[in-house]
Amino acid sequence: MLEEMKEVWRFRYLLRQFVSRELKIRYKNSVFGVLWSIVPLIISVYVYSFLFEKVAGKTIPNYSAYALCGIVPWTFFTTACLDSCQSLLNNYSIMKKVYLPREIIPLSYVISNGIHLMIGWAFYFTTFHVIWPLVLGIPIPLLHTIVWFPVVLVMECLLVLGLSFWFAALNLYYQDVKYVLQTLFNLLLFLLPILYPAYIHLEGLRSRGMEWAYDLYLCNPVAAMLTGFRETLLEPVPVENWNNSTPLPRPELFAPTWTYGVAALLTLLILWSGYKFFNARKWQFVERY
Amino acid sequence: MSIEPPPTGEESPAIEIVHLVKEFRILHTGSVKGLLSRIWKRPKAVQFTALKDISFTVPHGQTLAIIGRNGSGKSTMLGILARIYRATSGTVKLNGLGGRPARIAPLLELGAGFQNDLTGFQNVEFYGAVLGMNARQIKDRMDTIVEFAELGDKMDTPLHGWNDGAKLRLGFSIAVHIDPDILLVDEVLAVGDESFQNKCYRMIADLQARGKTIVFVSHDLPVVERVANRVLWLNDGVIMHDGDPTTVLAAYRATAE
Repeated sequence: MLEEMKEVWRFRYLLRQFVSRELKIRYKNSVFGVLWSIVPLIISVYVYSFLFEKVAGKTIPNYSAYALCGIVPWTFFTTACLDSCQSLLNNYSIMKKVYLPREIIPLSYVISNGIHLMIGWAFYFTTFHVIWPLVLGIPIPLLHTIVWFPVVLVMECLLVLGLSFWFAALNLYYQDVKYVLQTLFNLLLFLLPILYPAYIHLEGLRSRGMEWAYDLYLCNPVAAMLTGFRETLLEPVPVENWNNSTPLPRPELFAPTWTYGVAALLTLLILWSGYKFFNARKWQFVERY
Repeated sequence: MSIEPPPTGEESPAIEIVHLVKEFRILHTGSVKGLLSRIWKRPKAVQFTALKDISFTVPHGQTLAIIGRNGSGKSTMLGILARIYRATSGTVKLNGLGGRPARIAPLLELGAGFQNDLTGFQNVEFYGAVLGMNARQIKDRMDTIVEFAELGDKMDTPLHGWNDGAKLRLGFSIAVHIDPDILLVDEVLAVGDESFQNKCYRMIADLQARGKTIVFVSHDLPVVERVANRVLWLNDGVIMHDGDPTTVLAAYRATAE
């Protein structure tokens, strides 16, 4: 595996070309260019705020910050996974005609989407920590937990990379993978703590004596990643604002540390196994008939 | 400081192939349905051997033509040399001049890596990188590449407005300017107008004169006669004949009739 990684390093210039090709092609004929990686974020935040506040009637202070904090990493997660899922098929003609370390292909899609992720976070920080306090006079304090933000960010990228290796290799043999993912992602938008914090599940599960299910839920690397971003950036919203139940004692609003540990281990396992799975098959990719 | 040794007769040859076997397993391309059905119904792995125990050596500076019928293993052979396929068994060694690692330019399909949405210049950067050049090398050679391809001010426009001839010229121009030790060519010279074809032949002659090794696959026997100084005739994955063009071509033509 080390040899394979060295070979990727030797081809780093090609990797850069793949990434810059992706970035050039995406917005090549659009007037607003890179703004298009921000506009969908704004629209989704408006739609979900409307749903939660006007339709469901919840009063959650600074809900747009809560929503965006989940939507930015979730958008990266889904687009990067779907892009790399299709990446080998889209670059099949190159793979069939020249030698290159083939993991460069999914890797380049993760990186180019990662750049859009950075733009998304830059937008988040300027909106809620510059524009809101200075222009609208609504302060959102920066928490000291922000030191963990880079860690969560790196874990998300590793998770996406690991999944990308799995999906890219599998989708070459079973093209259902892409459709399964698209469907699954639509469902997960509501099952994962993207638009709401994870702890709103706690009361319900506890009353049924299934508190372990809540822990299990938090061990899921995607839920852990989303919860991690929210906890490092924002004060938790009291649970009664979400589901009109009895208030939880404050410490329970945070996910336990050990579930983060399990999620991190799972992330590394997914990355390691994904790369192994990909490497074991990468020389047969062009041999299918 | 390293002094490059002068090319001598004892230098390792450009290509060394020993007992090469390449088998293809025809894989199921399927869906989840296919996956499920395989649980109780194991598929028969359909296997065929494209190359059966091939051994040959190509010294530096030789131009080798591989001929043979469709399905004889010619393209598989080039794919192995281009490192697109891995050998099932046997060894494949590619050596550069003076003991350096070999730089290989695969011209298996010109412009296979071209992106229609990018401009000519951007494509030179991208395809140059695909062929193993770095930023500086591409920058240094940009002018010669554009000049050789005779494209001029077209280079600033995206490729989807280009005709096939223009793309072909750009692809060939990039590939020959990476300064390869070994050039692999698959039937690509048949396209393009006559004046560009002549230019390509002059380029090939120039590469030959500079001691580069060329392996090409062609059905065009007059071209083989004109360019090659050795011919390898493959039939059904085995070497039928290996020798100088006149002898091998005479034998090949005799069977074709």
